[in-house]
Amino acid sequence: MENKNTYWKGLEELNNDPKFLQAKRNEFAEGIPLEEVLTEQDGELTSNRRDFLKYFGFSVSAVALAACNKAPVKNVIPYIVKPENITPGIPNWYATTNPETGASILVKTREGRPIKIEGNPESPIFKGGASAVEHASLLGLYDNERLKAPQAEGNEVDWNTLDGKIKTGLASAKNIRLISGTVNSPSVKKAIAAFTAKYPNTKHITYEAVSNSAMIDANTQSFGKAVVPGYRFDKAKVIVSFGADFLGTWISPVEFTKQWVINRKVGTAGDGKTEMSRHIQFESNLSLTGSNADMRFPIKPSAEGVILISLYNKLAAMAGSPTLSGAQNIELALNSVENTAKELWAAKGASLVVSGSNNLDNQLLVNAINSLLGNIGTTVDLDNYSNQKYSNDTAFEAFVSDMNNGGVDAVIFMNSNPAYSYYNAKRFEDGLKKVALTVSTSSSVDETSAMCKLYAPDNHYLESWGDAEPKVGYYALIQPTISPVFNTRQAPESLLRWADNSTDYYTFVKGNWSAMGVNETAWNKSLHDGFMYAGEKSAQSYSNSVLPTAAVNAAYQAYTSSKDKIEISLYSKVGLGDGRNANNPWLQELPDPISKVCWDNYAAIGKVTADQLGVKDGDVISITTKGYTIESIPVLVQPGQANNTVSIAVGYGRTHGGKVAKYVGKNAYGLASFNKTVGYNTADAKVAKASGDYELAQTQTHHTIEGRNIIKEASLKEFIKDPKAGNHDHAHIISLWDERDSKGHRWAMAIDMNACTGCGSCVVSCSAENNVPVVGRKEVLNSREMHWIRIDRYYSFKDKNGKSITREAGLAGNMLKGKDETLIDENTNFENVKVAFQPMMCQHCGHAPCETVCPVLATVHSSEGLNHMAYNRCVGTRYCANNCPYKVRRFNWFKYRENDKFDFYMNNDLGRMVINPDVTVRSRGVMEKCSFCIQRVQSGKLQAKVEGRNLKDGDVKTACQQSCPSNAIIFGDINDKSSEIAKLFKNERSYVLLEEYNVQPSVSYMTQIRNVEEAVAGDHAEHGAEHKEEKHEEKAHEHAAHS
Amino acid sequence: MRLLKFTSLFLLLSFSTRFASADVSEGEKLFTANCTSCHAITEKVVGPALKDVHKRRDAAWLTKWIRNSQALVKSGDATAVALYKENNESVMTSFENLSDGQVASIVEYIKAESEKPTAAANASVGGDATGATSSAGAQDGFYNSTTFWGLSIIAIILFVIVFILFSIRKVVDQLYAQKFPEAAAEESVQRISWKERPTSVRYKLFKKHPVVGIIVVILAFTVVGGLVGFDYGNKEVGVQKGYAPVQPINYSHELHAGKYKINCLYCHSGADKSKQATIPSPSTCMNCHAHVTASKNYDGKVSPEIQKIYNAVGWDADKKAYDPAKTQTPIKWVRIHNLPDLAYFNHSQHVKVGKVECQACHGPIETMKVVSQQTSLQMGWCINCHREAKVDMANNDYYQKLHEDLKAQGKSYATVANVGGLECGKCHY
Repeated sequence: MENKNTYWKGLEELNNDPKFLQAKRNEFAEGIPLEEVLTEQDGELTSNRRDFLKYFGFSVSAVALAACNKAPVKNVIPYIVKPENITPGIPNWYATTNPETGASILVKTREGRPIKIEGNPESPIFKGGASAVEHASLLGLYDNERLKAPQAEGNEVDWNTLDGKIKTGLASAKNIRLISGTVNSPSVKKAIAAFTAKYPNTKHITYEAVSNSAMIDANTQSFGKAVVPGYRFDKAKVIVSFGADFLGTWISPVEFTKQWVINRKVGTAGDGKTEMSRHIQFESNLSLTGSNADMRFPIKPSAEGVILISLYNKLAAMAGSPTLSGAQNIELALNSVENTAKELWAAKGASLVVSGSNNLDNQLLVNAINSLLGNIGTTVDLDNYSNQKYSNDTAFEAFVSDMNNGGVDAVIFMNSNPAYSYYNAKRFEDGLKKVALTVSTSSSVDETSAMCKLYAPDNHYLESWGDAEPKVGYYALIQPTISPVFNTRQAPESLLRWADNSTDYYTFVKGNWSAMGVNETAWNKSLHDGFMYAGEKSAQSYSNSVLPTAAVNAAYQAYTSSKDKIEISLYSKVGLGDGRNANNPWLQELPDPISKVCWDNYAAIGKVTADQLGVKDGDVISITTKGYTIESIPVLVQPGQANNTVSIAVGYGRTHGGKVAKYVGKNAYGLASFNKTVGYNTADAKVAKASGDYELAQTQTHHTIEGRNIIKEASLKEFIKDPKAGNHDHAHIISLWDERDSKGHRWAMAIDMNACTGCGSCVVSCSAENNVPVVGRKEVLNSREMHWIRIDRYYSFKDKNGKSITREAGLAGNMLKGKDETLIDENTNFENVKVAFQPMMCQHCGHAPCETVCPVLATVHSSEGLNHMAYNRCVGTRYCANNCPYKVRRFNWFKYRENDKFDFYMNNDLGRMVINPDVTVRSRGVMEKCSFCIQRVQSGKLQAKVEGRNLKDGDVKTACQQSCPSNAIIFGDINDKSSEIAKLFKNERSYVLLEEYNVQPSVSYMTQIRNVEEAVAGDHAEHGAEHKEEKHEEKAHEHAAHS
Repeated sequence: MRLLKFTSLFLLLSFSTRFASADVSEGEKLFTANCTSCHAITEKVVGPALKDVHKRRDAAWLTKWIRNSQALVKSGDATAVALYKENNESVMTSFENLSDGQVASIVEYIKAESEKPTAAANASVGGDATGATSSAGAQDGFYNSTTFWGLSIIAIILFVIVFILFSIRKVVDQLYAQKFPEAAAEESVQRISWKERPTSVRYKLFKKHPVVGIIVVILAFTVVGGLVGFDYGNKEVGVQKGYAPVQPINYSHELHAGKYKINCLYCHSGADKSKQATIPSPSTCMNCHAHVTASKNYDGKVSPEIQKIYNAVGWDADKKAYDPAKTQTPIKWVRIHNLPDLAYFNHSQHVKVGKVECQACHGPIETMKVVSQQTSLQMGWCINCHREAKVDMANNDYYQKLHEDLKAQGKSYATVANVGGLECGKCHY
């Protein structure tokens, strides 16, 4: 077999960690939790073994009693006046915008309650993609810890009283500060202007927890435009990113993923394309973007400056421009800087260099490089700029000083939480105590509002009117999909009230739009579409005369002074981001795309550095900087992490903000520092092993597949030569079963591994669609997570000579050397790993192994190729899970709703409003799994039948497919020969997992193609097919002889 | 009466040739779909009773009026103006989409109805209804009364026979004792109670090992009780057949659906497009009941039941207007048909796609003063129908491919079960 066993789920597997081995043997890691079950607070029953007979006796008589009982009386209460467009049982869709990310979304409501968020496919920018954050934002609406009414000094008051207090306070204030996050809404800007007009001594300061300030400053200096550019990853043939996680968290990840993936799809899946963009990543922690790059070079954060300088000088030499004087040439292993420069130069005008650093010098260098390459106006678009993630670090710094000097007497925090995310929280809090009037519009009590006196709680955005302009000229509307659940008021409306403007916010927004020249018809159209966009302006080139010569010295100083030190770098995770959504259980339970850890942050350390520090997985360390200490943060030995670096995610360690958010992980913001802008890395930290241990809830080693060959890949070169490269080894198939014939539909799914970035959007989308419960950290540790779709992440390790570590070669070699059963030795290169993502859900096998072992026929096959699961037939033997080769079945160990032990959203009435009424809420003791969104299949078919027409391709989309920002999942009817799935299900790159079992899965995967020089598929790719077939024949003969 | 019949037959014969294009059955369809919410043949509903309207007005006038009554009123047509005033100036909905032929069909239907003797009309409704019941009832055959009574009689007869046999044996014993007194006395001495006989099973069980005995008895009871309970549970628990709760408004389907023949979909408007059939909102009731007060039955006052609708929507019956001062209070109907959450049922699939009559599941609803659940709503009941019901493939393009396959196989029909209607995941997900 080709590239056999080169993929590993983690270091534990590579290292044959005893715990992993035990987990592997104990495939399900699921002893029967008898003690827990019997002492469980399920209803009011607390029982033990002794009570068993008592209850048995009771239950006999209870049956008799129950038989006499009539079912409870249920009421049906119709509308008094039925709204014309609402029919109970039929969902209504509304187009709106998520103000946090700016993404255009569609909201599905049933009987007046929003139950699902999806991307808006008509949006030319977001193109129907939605990130995990957008999907999960729905749950924020049903958070019953939101503030239910305005409050003054801890007492609930009415709005008039509150407004009175605030107005009195403002009237006498000499220095008012309004702190908000990025404001890209034209109407909010006007509301702020109205407020400032009324109170002229107001200063509006934008503050973002994870700041982009340096980029805006750099663009001001270089091009005279204080903007975040509109990047065009779709126009770039060579992409070089310095720590910018543009597929995961940077600026506008959904938009960028949609762009990026255009040049990553090849072959049949990419309309026959045989070209791919080349993606090179320099970074210290293994980010989502880095894991998807073709080439990835681990660097220390302090080295970014010098590498940028070296890169600039190499390019300048090629261009014949003046180089930066006084610079030494820094080169990384494998001549990567030199090679990168050559590749960039070859793709002049169609290349793109980005940096996620919040360092002005680095951003100036990036601008200089892009100018040199002629990318301004092509891939760096300063005319169609982005309005997202604007903040001003210096202004905020001045505000904190002013507060401490007593120079501020009124401050309004508009959905801004610096007490949590400011690097020097103590200084901020001390300052805030000196302010007379403190108002917060946060919708729940967060760290900042806990210190404020007056609360004017904001609506959730699904209850609000509003607009946004995430990209210049792209006007998006926000419309309510439900009336406000609590007595809350929109923050901009509050500003208007305090400015003595009594217009309601809807009228205000509409008024603004008509002032922009939008007539009634256009308004209605925008409301229907969710946005108004005249299209892109033509991008101009801007000259850049700024050469950051001063950067040279500073960069070298940073580089040399921290050369031997361990550096700390902060990053944000795909799920929790900057921490504002920490109270969202869907996001907490979403495993990190790379580490697969949920419900925690941790210190990611490379293997070499961990050995130096004498720590391993499960240990805890303490990190001390000048003003801040993180005590006992758990260690995660992370492949791909640059040596001598420690990366920690921000967004955790909340002390307020709700029961889900509180005390999950550690707050890392304190490790940041300020020098012109906020810096998110530091070399001045002391890292030491602390006492104690801590186990992280990590899902990756669950459901292990024993190193079987399930990832297939090839390099682009190999693929062009032979489209079947890497996909020649097909198993010889013998079947014991009759082939199924399907006349009607036959549902199937194709997954393009080249497109899948592993972002996890599908996981949250699936949870929302299928009422998948959240189980919490403790249960994830017990391998009892319930997600129907998981994204398996595999690492491939190489040794220092660039040879893959395979089970055979590595193990044999080490055993010859007399070492233990470990594949890890001093030769292994842990800094640079290859990553593959594989979404995994029920494969709906044609000859499903689970079906044959179910003693009660609870899981059976349908004529449409689906593997049905009848929950109420299931008696919970779990035989099916034991017999499933893909480990996709999930057992309900507990009743997750109305259970205080699982106090997430399903434990309160408001939270349960998010439940999809078309999908059964499963109870304890039954097995469940992906159904291919059968409720969507059925409703798509019904729609066609009601309209009396054929089912069209695309009528049925599964939740994971709909949400995928990279269009990696395609679903449809393969019996419909014209459908996309019929083309993709069987093409040169398609393969099914564990084909040798001949279970005939309905999910096919497509070989991952990497744009790299070296051969990936293996030596015998070309003749593989013949060889294999010969072998099989031999084997078949053998079988015949034996029998 | 006989005279009426005679005349109607005569009229039927004399008019039947006059509108060749008009079609009574099409007219009936159009009438039920468009007119029944405001009109009936023999009674005034919102609009006047339509009996013999073809005699009162000429066809051209009727067409104009139906198409757009207001235009006719405005044009100053005397009949139209008078009619408008007579009916409290309530505006009749315009049906400009109806073609001449369709209007003629409606008139033809009204004519046919007018000429029908009233009793016959009612009987036909009753007839339909029984048909529906018997088809639904057939599946519950065991419980139909004939079988029940038959079995009961057999049981009684068996009891009587047993009794007679015991009596005979007693008499024989007595005769034996009389004839051979010594032998009988000897035998009675030998007949020792089981309590003193260690070989008897009962002695072993209850005297020697009383615990075992008690366990055996309990087990026996459990097994028997379990079987009885299982059977009972299977047939009765959670089955609410016959459930007829008292509703907040004493609404009669017999009156609305039976007598006035208002189309079911007029009120249950979701039935052909949604999962839910939907209970109409009181504003739908007000479409008619803004005018219909049934006051002639209540000494000129509004019927107390109709008043409940007015209370719900805040309507002032005297001013004939909504009173904004009144609070609107929703009506809490009691849900009769309750499927468990684990079963997915969609009305539109059955009503629109399957073209199943409402009565097939809900029974003869047009005869019910109080609605009750007519069927068990158990899975077996669903499945039976899915096994028998044929899919109408010819008239729905969705089934095009399957239909071709079917024809290629030489089969004339496919049941719901044949197209996967028995698969678990079709209803349980």
